[in-house]
Amino acid sequence: MSNAESRRGNLAGWAFIAPAMVLLGLFMVYPIFWSLWMSFQTGKGLNFKFGGLANIIRLTKDPVFQHALSNTMIFLVVQVPVMIVMALLFAVALNNPALKGRAILRTAIFLPCVTSLVAYSVLFKSMFAVDGVVNHTLMALHVISAPIGWMVEPFWAKVLIILAITWRWTGYNMVFYLAALQNIDPSMYEAARIDGVPAWARFTRITIPMLRPVILFTTVLSTIGTLQLFDEVNTITASAGNGGMPADSTLTLSLYIYNLLFKFVPNYGYAATVSWLIVLIVAVLSWIQFQVAKER
Amino acid sequence: MSGLTLKGLRKAYGAAQVIKGVDLEILPEEFVVFVGPSGCGKSTLLRMIAGLESISGGDLFIGGRRVNDVDASQRGIAMVFQSYALYPHMTVRENMGFALKFAGASKTEITAKVDAAAAILGLGALMDRKPRDLSGGQRQRVAIGRAIVREPQVFLFDEPLSNLDAELRVHMRIEIARLHQDLKATIIYVTHDQIEAMTLADKIVVLREGRVEQTGSPLKLYDDPDNIFVAGFIGSPKMNFLSARVQGGRLVLPELADQSLPLPALQQALPEGAQVTLGLRPDVFKRGGSASLSLTIEIVEQLGGETFAYARVGGSAQIMTIAVEDGRALRPGQALVASFDPARALLFDTDGQRLR
Ligand SMILES: Nc1ncnc2c1ncn2[C@@H]1O[C@H](COP(=O)(O)OP(=O)(O)OP(=O)(O)O)[C@@H](O)[C@H]1O
Ligand SMILES: [Mg+2]
Repeated sequence: MSNAESRRGNLAGWAFIAPAMVLLGLFMVYPIFWSLWMSFQTGKGLNFKFGGLANIIRLTKDPVFQHALSNTMIFLVVQVPVMIVMALLFAVALNNPALKGRAILRTAIFLPCVTSLVAYSVLFKSMFAVDGVVNHTLMALHVISAPIGWMVEPFWAKVLIILAITWRWTGYNMVFYLAALQNIDPSMYEAARIDGVPAWARFTRITIPMLRPVILFTTVLSTIGTLQLFDEVNTITASAGNGGMPADSTLTLSLYIYNLLFKFVPNYGYAATVSWLIVLIVAVLSWIQFQVAKER
Repeated sequence: MSGLTLKGLRKAYGAAQVIKGVDLEILPEEFVVFVGPSGCGKSTLLRMIAGLESISGGDLFIGGRRVNDVDASQRGIAMVFQSYALYPHMTVRENMGFALKFAGASKTEITAKVDAAAAILGLGALMDRKPRDLSGGQRQRVAIGRAIVREPQVFLFDEPLSNLDAELRVHMRIEIARLHQDLKATIIYVTHDQIEAMTLADKIVVLREGRVEQTGSPLKLYDDPDNIFVAGFIGSPKMNFLSARVQGGRLVLPELADQSLPLPALQQALPEGAQVTLGLRPDVFKRGGSASLSLTIEIVEQLGGETFAYARVGGSAQIMTIAVEDGRALRPGQALVASFDPARALLFDTDGQRLR
């Protein structure tokens, strides 16, 4: 190929990807930088001006923000480990060829993450209503003596949100573990069995280390997902069109950003600052997780 | 070291019978090789001995103790797998010492045992590497080392060398033979490889479709097979089989244009007209003898030290493999008079059983 020809080839190539590049630039790259710039602006609506670190200072004095941050962290610290451990146990159990009906169970556990958000929210709301089927069942089983106010009491509202997102995402994570487990040579476990390695040690000393890269991957992904938690707290624990109820006990950072923009008089600058704080937390937590998982 | 006794051992997966009643006596310190075609149940039988597969029927004794329901870890056996089955996230040292941790050995004890095994296998310089940084032969040595440290009564090997290249296979074969001498262990070894079976075994067990066809020393099976299956399975290149008819005290070979040879001496008399199968190993033709067959050479294989001629008569379908002493001058198309000692010919009846 001559130089001119190859240049023409290059031009054609660029022309083909140009639409995608333009769209990406317009709707992703540009807004990202714009939001970074916005995070240093103060003022309401379109009436804003450069405020330096004013937004960051405001973060330190904003009790609603601090409430949202602590709620989000509680969700993160409780929900991600519980879900990861459950997904691992399900995966190991469902990987056992002796188990009957594996395919059906696998599908059943995976299905929630592809279920419609609205449908499942409505169902959860009705199931966990004060006179809902969950309270009825628990009372019939004598687990509780009085109905639990799942969507009324702050503590139980958090529990409900954790139950809901765990229900929705455990199967999704399990699929990653199942795929990884199927790549492990079964004769390794047979060798361990013959060598008298007990079952718990086969799990903790062989399975877990073998799955380490996948566990890291799913942990980072789940951390990001939980930090951006919005759907459930804006549907299941919403009342009268306001999410994060009761008394902001399930208010998350994402929901707070939404409120800053669409519920209150819009404050683009401050909302951008909170968004960038999430980015920062994700970066720091991911870095820590990579360090912990690094092979020694 | 312990011996083993298998009494009427059976294995079924649902309705599928895989092992159909195996009786076998394995002496202490014996090197026993299971051979047989793919799918005959070699691995299954070995895994039943190991305790990885449940036993559907019969009894298994190791060192005089019935172990049918004893856990794999309590049978006093160690197994080396074809895929090595090393723990990829552990170093060689950790791989070899892992089992001992759970057997309640102290740290110093583990170090001593692992170092001793490493010395036997020449692994000293590799102790801190991970399996992925080892060659195939080194990995296999680690797998063997992991078995040795447990000081088992019986070693089980399932095709341990089949992932290695030809040269390494010869090398490891010799190492395993040496190991057997050094450790004085009972070894049960599964292989496809003729040469591994012939060179390593004290006793070969030929399996076919879940049954033992014949048991014996390698040379016993080679010289004196009980049936056509064993005769054809042991020995490479394969034994030639020709259909033959008894006629006037001679064996007439219709596939070779009715050429004939004197009837080999047998304990039993064969009736006139009896149909039999004649078995001639390619190397019976090396030494010559009173009988001979006239053939035309079709293909010549020169291996340097040996020559194999593939020859037939006219347009007949039957091709004979013939080992030729000093065959470097042979060319396709030439006539070949292959002579042999009729006493070395084997006869089989129409059911494939040996006629003696
Ligand atoms: N889990 C199982 N369910 C049903 N049949 C099985 C099962 N495992 C093995 N078999 C059958 O048992 C027979 C013996 O298998 P096995 O693996 O012991 O053969 P093998 O002699 O080791 O063959 P190869 O030389 O190919 O390794 C095969 O026909 C196989 O299809
Ligand atoms: Mg096999």
